Amino acid sequence: MGQPQQNKLPKVSYLSIVYNVLIGLLLLLFAFYNWRQIELTSQSLYEREALLGKQEAVEAINTVAKRILAIEKSLSEWDESRQQLMYRQFYPLWRDQRVRSAGLVPETINDIALYDRNGRILAPSGNKEPMPDNMPRQGGTLYVNEGGHIHMYSFFPIFAESGGGQLLGYGGLAFDLVDQLRMDRQYRYLDLSTIRMQVPSGTLVDRDSLIKSLSFELLPNPNLDKMRSAYQVSFIQLSVVFLLVQVVSAWLLQRYFTRPLRELSEEIDSLRDLENQEDNYCRIKPLPIRELEELRQSFYDYHNRLLDLNQNLERSSQNFYDQARRDPMTGVFNRRAYDEDWHSLDDANKIEQCSLILFDCDHFKAINDSYGHHVGDSVIKSLASILQSTLRGEDRLYRLGGDEFATVLARNDADNAEAIAARCLEQVLSHDFQQFGVIEPVTISIGIAHGNPGVALGDLQKQADIAMYAAKRPTSRKIEVFGERLNEVSPLLTNKSISAIYQTIQDPFLMEMHYQPVIDLKTREPAYVEALTRIKIDGEIIRPNEIFPVVQARRVDAEFDQAVIQAVQRDLEFKRIPEHLGVSINVSAVGLLSSKVTDMLVYLKLAYPEIKMVVEITETALIDQIEQATLHIHKLREAGCLVALDDFGSGYSSLRYLASMPVDLVKFDISMMRLLEKGDVRQKEVIREVARLVTNAGYKMVAEGIETHVMLEQVVGLGFDYAQGFLFEPALNTA
Amino acid sequence: MPMRYRFFPMSGPLFVACLLALLGGMAHAQRVTLRIEGPLTASAEYIAGQRDKPAVLILHGFLQTNEFPTVRQLIRHLADAGYTVLAPTLSLNITNRKQSLPCEAIHTHGMPDAAREIGLWVDWLKKRRGPIVLLGHSFGTVQLLTYHEAHPDPAIQKLIGISLVEGGPYKSDSARRDRLVRELRRQAEQPKPTLANHPVSFCKNYRSTARGLLSYLEWTPERVLESINTSRLPMAFIMGSGDERLDQGWIQRLQTTSAKTHVIQGASHFMDGQHEFDMLDSLLSELNDKNGPATTK
Repeated sequence: MGQPQQNKLPKVSYLSIVYNVLIGLLLLLFAFYNWRQIELTSQSLYEREALLGKQEAVEAINTVAKRILAIEKSLSEWDESRQQLMYRQFYPLWRDQRVRSAGLVPETINDIALYDRNGRILAPSGNKEPMPDNMPRQGGTLYVNEGGHIHMYSFFPIFAESGGGQLLGYGGLAFDLVDQLRMDRQYRYLDLSTIRMQVPSGTLVDRDSLIKSLSFELLPNPNLDKMRSAYQVSFIQLSVVFLLVQVVSAWLLQRYFTRPLRELSEEIDSLRDLENQEDNYCRIKPLPIRELEELRQSFYDYHNRLLDLNQNLERSSQNFYDQARRDPMTGVFNRRAYDEDWHSLDDANKIEQCSLILFDCDHFKAINDSYGHHVGDSVIKSLASILQSTLRGEDRLYRLGGDEFATVLARNDADNAEAIAARCLEQVLSHDFQQFGVIEPVTISIGIAHGNPGVALGDLQKQADIAMYAAKRPTSRKIEVFGERLNEVSPLLTNKSISAIYQTIQDPFLMEMHYQPVIDLKTREPAYVEALTRIKIDGEIIRPNEIFPVVQARRVDAEFDQAVIQAVQRDLEFKRIPEHLGVSINVSAVGLLSSKVTDMLVYLKLAYPEIKMVVEITETALIDQIEQATLHIHKLREAGCLVALDDFGSGYSSLRYLASMPVDLVKFDISMMRLLEKGDVRQKEVIREVARLVTNAGYKMVAEGIETHVMLEQVVGLGFDYAQGFLFEPALNTA
Repeated sequence: MPMRYRFFPMSGPLFVACLLALLGGMAHAQRVTLRIEGPLTASAEYIAGQRDKPAVLILHGFLQTNEFPTVRQLIRHLADAGYTVLAPTLSLNITNRKQSLPCEAIHTHGMPDAAREIGLWVDWLKKRRGPIVLLGHSFGTVQLLTYHEAHPDPAIQKLIGISLVEGGPYKSDSARRDRLVRELRRQAEQPKPTLANHPVSFCKNYRSTARGLLSYLEWTPERVLESINTSRLPMAFIMGSGDERLDQGWIQRLQTTSAKTHVIQGASHFMDGQHEFDMLDSLLSELNDKNGPATTK
């Protein structure tokens, strides 16, 4: 999950706060709801109390009415009531004393009266609240509001006989309703002192209207109030307990969950930035929850395992990286490492500060082919070891392929580069390669290119390549630094020139041959011509000193020899070589060991049997496969070819080759010829003795590089049979 | 139903005959209302008995009604014995009176009123049955004497008194009685009637008009004995030896009269309990003895 999405996720502290707030709100809601329920229940109970109070009032009024009705019945059936309606002379006594003492009416009665059949009172009383003088028409029980008191008047008929008969008159009773209500019972709900009738004062109403207009207050209900108070107190206590539980829960949540979780998260976050997690882990105190602590332990264990795995992966990756960048045979860096380091330098813009040194083993292919691959590998290993040990500790040695090595000096120090190169060359030359059976000296060619402002990576590599090719020239001192002097040859060693060599191998007709005459010193006439190779491309001539380093470096010796043979054959066909002269063809050691090359030479000789054909074997390329070479030499000689050992005296084991191989001619190197002219006495004596030795061995001698008559006379004096050089004439151009 | 026939295995005609005999033997009580004067009415219970037996007019005691227990016993027994019974309730100037009148009530009645009403009831009764035996209890007997003395009637065959009392108040204090009589007469002469409050019979606080009280005061023990002795009507009295309402010697004084006096040993003023039957035996013997003005000593 990316960082933005992660930032959108809520933190546990926020969730904890939200949780506590929600729980708090729920508790508040719960509290409000329950408080409201208590109020509603209390209100309902009070309403029920009010209803019960109303019912109680109605029941009490009905009870009073029944009791009054019973009094009415007693009075109406009482003989003395009828007596007073018929004999009224003692009515006041009856009203004021007799009827009360008879026990038929309660003591709480306000007044009592008898009315005649017309409803007129028999005699008004002097009572404070007297009965009306005239009975209301509606009769029955009536109620009136007077001064806040409810008075009850009850009127009833009195007949001559019980239940009917002649109407004698009416009886009337006056009560205070509250007094009557108080007589019956103890009231549970009704507060009698608050009973009021909501009608205008003096208005008579019946019982139904009384009930409708009745108002009163309820008696205090201690139980209900106590219960409500108890509920409220219990609820408050419960709320306080809930609140405390909530606070404790929040604290516990914070103490044992939120904070440990946050600390765990912070620890995990801190691991990203800390290199040494172990130290950090040790500083952390244990989390308070066992599961969280176990989770953290598990996480750290997992983390450590991941670290171990990561380290193993890194080591493996590094190993793979190194293996991918190491040459398995020599242990030095390979071509991939070389390319990556260069790109790194290029990316860091450090190319300008670097120096590139290329090392190439001379004649390695010949060594490889002559002594076998295992010897070649040993030579390569030794070269790598010598170069690596000779280089500075920080310098990397790359094996670019085959026998080619390189190193990059990060600092632009030309003197150091050349000194390092010289030391490497010295160490190689001083190394004992004979331990591998290699008799010939093993040398290396070193090309150096220094970075400079504006130089590109490809340019530096090319410059070093040019310098290395230049160092391979026979006249080179084996170490060349790319500079103005090499700019002349550099174009020839460009990719374009190399491409031309390959094109020539593919199409020998591109080759422009020059034939230099070889003079018979006895006749002072040309005996044969030596085919010298030129490549003309886009109007420019590529000479042998530029051609053969490339051919050797690219290891296309045999292919190039074939192309030369084909070119000579072409010139023979086109009569570009004088028919009375023979032709000498240079064949590399690789070509001599190639059956194809020797076959082509045999076929050419067979095609032109009349043509004297000399096969010159380059001495420097000879190798240990002398048996194979001897076999091919015999094959050539059997075909009629003469075999010449070229560059005798410039190589390493000329006498060995001479003694081993059945050649016809020995061609002294130009360097030996120059010693005859410019050398000291001892050198000249050596030359003379060698010439005498060769002559005595039966070989004919050829002197090359004869440029003066003095030299000519000297070689004649030494017994040379043939001579060639600019003294006689330059090479013929067949183009 | 089968089960009921099993328990009452009488035949149909036999059952009907038994029912008719039962109905014929039952006395039928009637409530009789009699207009006394003006709107004043009085009521009585009338049970017609056998025609060969005298009709008995039973009068209750002072301020009582025919619902008084002793009266109820007499009515029931005499009716059961086949006598025609008329048991009026004196109005005491209260129309259609049904309740005994307390002593504390306002009394406007007097002995003449009672005599007149008795006369009206005798007249009513003799139109239906005769001869008539007057049977009084307690002061009712005095009122019957008052009636008989004032209105002798040949239809009256005999007067029987049960627990006859001596008469009105101050019966033993003639001097005080005389002063009271004078005072009451003076009050009676006033144009506006007044009430006097004096003991009468068993009422210690009897509130009455002066005229009414005077009429009761006239009946002294001597007046009672005189009325008995001077009357030609056969009389008999049944007295209880245990009657504590009577003065000492009253029964003896009665026994000195010409009337026959039965004394029930141990009986109270109300002849209740086991004495009820003794009283009934004596009563029936007197009713059967139509000519018997004899005294049992």
